[in-house]
Amino acid sequence: MKKISKKSSKKLVSILLTLTISTVLLGGCGTKTTTDTTTTDATTTEATTDATTADAATDATTTDTATGPYYESDATAESIITNAASLGKVGNWGLGNEYEVQALLSKYGQDTTYLSQAFDMDGFDDDSILLASAMTYNELGLVKNDYDGAYGYGDSVKYIDMNEEGVAMLEDNIFCTKDFAETNPNTVKAFIAASMKGWAYACANPEEAAQIVYKYGSSVSSDHQAYMASEVKKLVETDMTGAPVTTYGVINDDAMQQTLDLAKTYIKLDDSVAADALQALTLDDIRDSSYWEAATADGAVLGAPEKTDVSIQLKWLPQAQFMGYYVALEKGYYDEVGLNVTIVPGGGDIGETTAVYTGQVDFGVTWVSNLIAADAGGMNLLEVSQVYQKSGLVLVYKINK
Amino acid sequence: MKKKKRKINKQKLMTLLYPVLFGVFILILWQTQLLHKIIGADTFTLPLPQRIINIIFDNVPEILMNVKATVIVSVCGLILGSLFGYGLAIIATAFPKWGTGGLSIASALSAVPIIAIAPILNNLTKDLSDDPNFRSMVAKTLVVTITCTVSMSVNAFRGFTELKPFSRDLMTSFAADKYTIFFKLMVPNSIPYVFTALRVSVPASVISALVSEYFAEYIIGVGRQIRENIVLAQYATAWAYITVACAIGIIMYCILLVTEGILLKGRR
Repeated sequence: MKKISKKSSKKLVSILLTLTISTVLLGGCGTKTTTDTTTTDATTTEATTDATTADAATDATTTDTATGPYYESDATAESIITNAASLGKVGNWGLGNEYEVQALLSKYGQDTTYLSQAFDMDGFDDDSILLASAMTYNELGLVKNDYDGAYGYGDSVKYIDMNEEGVAMLEDNIFCTKDFAETNPNTVKAFIAASMKGWAYACANPEEAAQIVYKYGSSVSSDHQAYMASEVKKLVETDMTGAPVTTYGVINDDAMQQTLDLAKTYIKLDDSVAADALQALTLDDIRDSSYWEAATADGAVLGAPEKTDVSIQLKWLPQAQFMGYYVALEKGYYDEVGLNVTIVPGGGDIGETTAVYTGQVDFGVTWVSNLIAADAGGMNLLEVSQVYQKSGLVLVYKINK
Repeated sequence: MKKKKRKINKQKLMTLLYPVLFGVFILILWQTQLLHKIIGADTFTLPLPQRIINIIFDNVPEILMNVKATVIVSVCGLILGSLFGYGLAIIATAFPKWGTGGLSIASALSAVPIIAIAPILNNLTKDLSDDPNFRSMVAKTLVVTITCTVSMSVNAFRGFTELKPFSRDLMTSFAADKYTIFFKLMVPNSIPYVFTALRVSVPASVISALVSEYFAEYIIGVGRQIRENIVLAQYATAWAYITVACAIGIIMYCILLVTEGILLKGRR
């Protein structure tokens, strides 16, 4: 009898221990409880007192009419950036996405260090990041909208646009290796032609495109896909100056040059060989417009593709950011040009540049800055089309209501 | 007598020489690119040792800054975790009924991957301080602490309980009280077990420090640099940091072996 009770007491203790451990672990996952609000409030009030002192000279209205813990809706970009940077509360994901933010910080004479932002907006939600990086088509929607999984801030947030600040760098493009382009010129042309047809259709019918992407596997809700499609359309059809673009996928050399110049200033490479190579890069090393021109010219004759089974590595999970390719696949545009295309989703730390370089995939979608860094490191990657004509990166902040 | 001593030295020398020679052999294969042919890599993803070493020497101050961050985290976590684990073992010995069950749960906890704990602890420590460097340091240290606690508590518990036959009876026959038995018999008996635990937790502390840096809010540390450089396709720089990470692990392990040699002299 005694033995049994010993055993059962052991079991009881084990169960109790597991329970406490799991509650402690799960506690970290949940959203903040009311007990936390006092501490967050404390930090934000502190933030505003700092803000008012820092901005007193530049933005006198802040001191007079401060109505809450955040920024005034009419505050200048400069005052917001100066304040957030001095508090060390500017966030970015890093990993090659930080150069525009660093360029903006430098523009206003601030230190270029930033907080590492997770792939959700919890840091912005709980005020540990005051000025958070967001893509117009993704995080900004999550912050503003109120569908499932979003934060529902509505118009109580505003943002600073990289294009308006003159520090925009080009993002999603189509690239392959120089060797691949040289040996398979017709494949490259056919791929660009069909993909651009897909982009044109997707931009004309964003809601249908969002549905198609959602069908192909999606990490986010269909509401968010629809929002994303409408925002991506703007990036594909407007350039950095705000002028409309009707030629999908055109490589704009002015925008490319601005991207390259910013990249040379803000990409810091420890490898001296790569750092020297970066400074020596010219536009001709990173892009070749001839494939796009041949593919989209009036009455273009696309020769038989040398390689028919091709794959494209996306930069991120399946979402409307890449709707053009999914539409082209769904509508059979790739079949029309004789290509059998596999779309490989990315996510996390998948290096699309490495995947293309090693030949696991033939094409890739990446940001121009990442392509520049990879080429400086010794890869031989070549941009053949530029899908996004302006930067989709913004810095989002909360305003007092 | 003299002859025998020399023989032992020669044997010791050989056990050291063979691995070193093997290492040098691999290094030669690597530098002459024969290794690349064997495993089918190219000099871009697996850069030559010469280039890696050049990068290390070109960036000494920056590398040292990152090494400092990583070493502080792993050493603090190691010390905290080991002390905590030792404390747990004492409690488990004092209440043997609960202890054995509790410790088996604790060892189950060690199976929880670092990747799962690191982001959670990051969230938990968010309100700790206004300085992101400090609070992410705490989060990383806690991850290392958890990893190190388990091996120490399990091993130290064995050290307290697996005594030499009749030694406890002997102490009792001397009318020694509980505390004397604990400090004079059990604690000394646990010391070799403590080192067994440390042999596991020293490399584990370095690894968990490196991994937890991936998720940290503040961007610093050898592990974080490896990730950043691989994502940016800077493989040579990434390899330089990998080399540095290996060096940290090896040096810490060597320090442990030397300390063990001094403290346990004549016991083995």
